[in-house]
Amino acid sequence: MDKLLKYGLFIWLTAVICFAIVAPIPAVGNMGERARILYFHVPTAWVSTVAFVMALVYGAQYIRKRDILYDYKAASSAALGLIFAILATVTGAVWAKFEWGAFWNWDPRQTSIFVLILVYGAYFALRSAVESEEQRAKLSSVYSILAGITVPFFIFIFPRIVDSLHPDPIVNSSGKVKMDTNMLIVFLSSLAGFTGLYVWMLNLRVRIAKLNLKESS
Amino acid sequence: MDFFAQNQNYVVLGVTLILWLGVFLYMLSLDKKIKKIEKE
Repeated sequence: MDKLLKYGLFIWLTAVICFAIVAPIPAVGNMGERARILYFHVPTAWVSTVAFVMALVYGAQYIRKRDILYDYKAASSAALGLIFAILATVTGAVWAKFEWGAFWNWDPRQTSIFVLILVYGAYFALRSAVESEEQRAKLSSVYSILAGITVPFFIFIFPRIVDSLHPDPIVNSSGKVKMDTNMLIVFLSSLAGFTGLYVWMLNLRVRIAKLNLKESS
Repeated sequence: MDFFAQNQNYVVLGVTLILWLGVFLYMLSLDKKIKKIEKE
């Protein structure tokens, strides 16, 4: 990644953090300052979704082209997705403690992200169980495609069809965005910043994988 | 203690910025190390 982009990302996310924590926010229900979780929790969940979908795309590319690099890309993306999903779960649980009174409530959103973490945990269990590189790549690519297909269901569909304590999604059931303009600007900037961070992290992991490949060949 | 109670947002801001700076510097140093190995 270009040096300018990296420092640009640093300045961007630093500004987002400052605005997210200090800038005044309008009253959101009776959440008060707790509403600021939105600026960090939702982007982590968003990045995990993007990462899982990218793992699906790379898995499919491996199946098509049989280039081992795509398998590494899929695994790297899935690993990042898992980390961000865990971050989303932890930040959500801390928020739930203060909003709902308990860290864990088996709310549909908590349940669906928990299942997703298990699904992708199993992906890495599968990878570590197969010794042959080619066999591992084949099996885990198919698994990453199957797992990726479940992501939209767990993130977007399941929590919307079951009654939940969770605040309305950003795009609510009527298909409209109901958020204060200033909050929306900070929120979208945070989404962009976190996505940039994911791209950089993936870039680092893929380059390490390439070096390992070079060394082993 | 009063200071922390009265400036909660700024304390959170400070801690978050330190964490972010740590993550950024770690990634930057990792990037440099990878670049160095790539050139070899």
